[in-house]
Amino acid sequence: MVGGGSFEFEGLQTIGIVCLVCMFLKLMHLLGLINFTDEDSSESDLELSTVRHQPEGLDQLQAQTKFTKKELQSLYRGFKNECPSGLVDEETFKMIYSQFFPQGDATTYAHFLFNAFDIDRTGSIRFEDFVIGLSVLLRGSVHEKLKWAFNLYDINKDGYITKEEMLAIMKSIYDMMGNYTYPSVREDTPFEHVEKFFQKMDRNQDGVVTIDEFMETCQKDENIMSSMQLFENVI
Amino acid sequence: MAAGVAAWLPFARAAAIGWMPVASAPMPLAPREKRRAQDGFIILNVSGTKFQTWRSTLERYPDTLLGSTEKDFFFNEEINEYFFDRDPDIFRHILNFYRTGKLHYPRHECISAYDEELSFFGIIPEIIGDCCYEEYKDRRRENAERIQDDADDENNKEGVLPDMTLRQSMWRAFENPHTSTLALVFYYVTGFFIAVSVIANVVETVPCRASPGMIKDLPCGERYALAFFCLDTACVMIFTVEYLLRLIAAPSRYRFVRSVMSIIDVVAIMPYYIGLVMTDNEDVSGAFVTLRVFRVFRIFKFSRHSQGLRILGYTLKSCASELGFLLFSLTMAIIIFATVMFYAEKGSTASKFTSIPAAFWYTIVTMTTLGYGDMVPKTIVGKIVGSVCSLSGVLVIALPVPVIVSNFSRIYHQNQRADKRRAQKASKEAGQAFLNKTNLSFEKEHHHLLHCLEKTTNHKFVDEETYEKNCMEVSSVNPPGSHCSSISSQHGLTSTCCSRRNKKTFRLPNSSHAGSLQELSTIQIRERPLISNSRSSLNAKMEDTVQQNSEHPYVTAAIISIRTPPVTSPEGNNTSDSPDYSQRNIVKVSAL
Repeated sequence: MVGGGSFEFEGLQTIGIVCLVCMFLKLMHLLGLINFTDEDSSESDLELSTVRHQPEGLDQLQAQTKFTKKELQSLYRGFKNECPSGLVDEETFKMIYSQFFPQGDATTYAHFLFNAFDIDRTGSIRFEDFVIGLSVLLRGSVHEKLKWAFNLYDINKDGYITKEEMLAIMKSIYDMMGNYTYPSVREDTPFEHVEKFFQKMDRNQDGVVTIDEFMETCQKDENIMSSMQLFENVI
Repeated sequence: MAAGVAAWLPFARAAAIGWMPVASAPMPLAPREKRRAQDGFIILNVSGTKFQTWRSTLERYPDTLLGSTEKDFFFNEEINEYFFDRDPDIFRHILNFYRTGKLHYPRHECISAYDEELSFFGIIPEIIGDCCYEEYKDRRRENAERIQDDADDENNKEGVLPDMTLRQSMWRAFENPHTSTLALVFYYVTGFFIAVSVIANVVETVPCRASPGMIKDLPCGERYALAFFCLDTACVMIFTVEYLLRLIAAPSRYRFVRSVMSIIDVVAIMPYYIGLVMTDNEDVSGAFVTLRVFRVFRIFKFSRHSQGLRILGYTLKSCASELGFLLFSLTMAIIIFATVMFYAEKGSTASKFTSIPAAFWYTIVTMTTLGYGDMVPKTIVGKIVGSVCSLSGVLVIALPVPVIVSNFSRIYHQNQRADKRRAQKASKEAGQAFLNKTNLSFEKEHHHLLHCLEKTTNHKFVDEETYEKNCMEVSSVNPPGSHCSSISSQHGLTSTCCSRRNKKTFRLPNSSHAGSLQELSTIQIRERPLISNSRSSLNAKMEDTVQQNSEHPYVTAAIISIRTPPVTSPEGNNTSDSPDYSQRNIVKVSAL
């Protein structure tokens, strides 16, 4: 039995030694003396922010939009102050837009807005996109504004607004309201709202709203027409 | 409000056109916009250095000198500029604050000069950005301490005021022995007696030659018991007299009794008196002997005589947290190693490591590299553990010396940074309140935007408390809608609709945009109470327009109460417009 006991003990000792050696190696690794894997540690810190964008000339922009030179100048100053690189990426855009809706979550709607402004799908809004979009919204005709709104709702830009797209938009709008509303937003509130919208807009009841149906219905609705003029004096 | 966010508001409002086709309710009217004159330059001449900026830049902070009409006092018609006879270098930072919304503190500037400039231009220092805030606070504290020290020195150097009472002069004599000869004499006499007492305590225990007739060597204390007793009595009498005199002379007796030095005094003389009382009782004489140990505390009385001792005590006290942490980590290491050692040595025969607490002694002795050798591991594992223990002991024990001696200040600040920032947060909140005295027109436009959103979805913003009230009272007769509207109308709608700006707190609804841009996030925290209050106060006025879709028929009661509050702002125009607007549209809303 003594032999067995001592064998047990020897085993314990060996395990102990192995454990200690492993811990020692781990400690060395922790201290940076040994590298087990091929890690390149510090190169990732060097990241040149080379992305920068200069807008087209003032005259060209003036030709493309309906803003005066002074308006363009003041718009650019505000834009450049906030985004010195000249580009707004989606994250920054979401952050800025969320500042105005502190009670709710504006990020989803900001995502849709971003896609509406970023016409050529570059993933970032340049000053030209920004100012062209604003020109439509503030100085465009009602027809152009409605077209812009249709473009906003049509998420995949295929020319049709489906119920799913509208539901997504509606949910994002209700998200901006946040939790503390009166009356409270129920689960199916956006859905009902979408149903109402489709009942109104979808003339031929085919489940999608085309641009012509949209335009026609909106032009008949006085509320919508008058509200389109609401923000003319924003700049 | 930072320039950035304000600049994007027109864009956010324009984008609101996207809500119009899906709106459930008609939109509120836009706030009337004053046709702003084209932004002009303003030239600020600061001691000859000209600074130029847009007028609107300065108007961002209407509560400061430059943002308000106060600067008209400095307008000089001859040169057609605003002239300030101040430091242009510091003014640069102040103007940058208007431009960027962040106030920085330049490290090379004197703190008091900077403070003076800030107070001249009406800017409170609490809004200094996080990057410079800590440095600013540290410099300020150092300066204040220096001024305080100087003031104290001045006080101390004062000559004897003619009308000082005996008590006050006595106290002064005790605290500053250099003031008069008598005090100096007293100082030295007490010092001498402290030394005598301590030496007597020490010598008492030395074995003296045995008196003839005795075999064993007696300690001197027992051989010359009477002499030592007399010496002890004399010392204690002197100490008692000194303590009583100090107690009488102290300006605040309560505070004096609680101070460390007086406690040491008491502890030093107590054993003698207790011994006097208890000599007859044999049972407690053992305890009495132990009490004599406390006589050694008399040596601490020297700290009144030594500035160095006091500084050491203060140093230890100030890095108490480092010491505490060190002790804690040491304890952890001791327990770990003792446990491992115990289990490693469990098998070996005649092992001295009988229990884990027994192994503590070994661990401590090894870690401090003492190595008495009374307990030694015999197994291989034990020896390995023992060597790791002694190596780590060297590390752990060697740590506190540089910390305390040379770097205690730096580590103190490092460890306290989080706490300091938390403590500073309270004053920073005050600063944020200052920052948020914003543009009135921005507020109106922002509220209009939020109002449009409400109309689109046909739901109203309410704040957290009202929401909970609504949830609880949904079945009761008490109309929750009128509740919140009447509360907000009671508070009185001032010229801005954000009357209860600072009273409500609000939790962040989502964390995706919290804190990533410092300026925006601080605005956001403040925005919440602004918006919530204004929402409910706007709701109070617009209640009449949402009856048609309300599920509660009681909302009508609210209308009567809210028509009355006198609102003098342009919001009032809205109030007068909206009922007509709503009347016109009440029929048509149901079309959707």
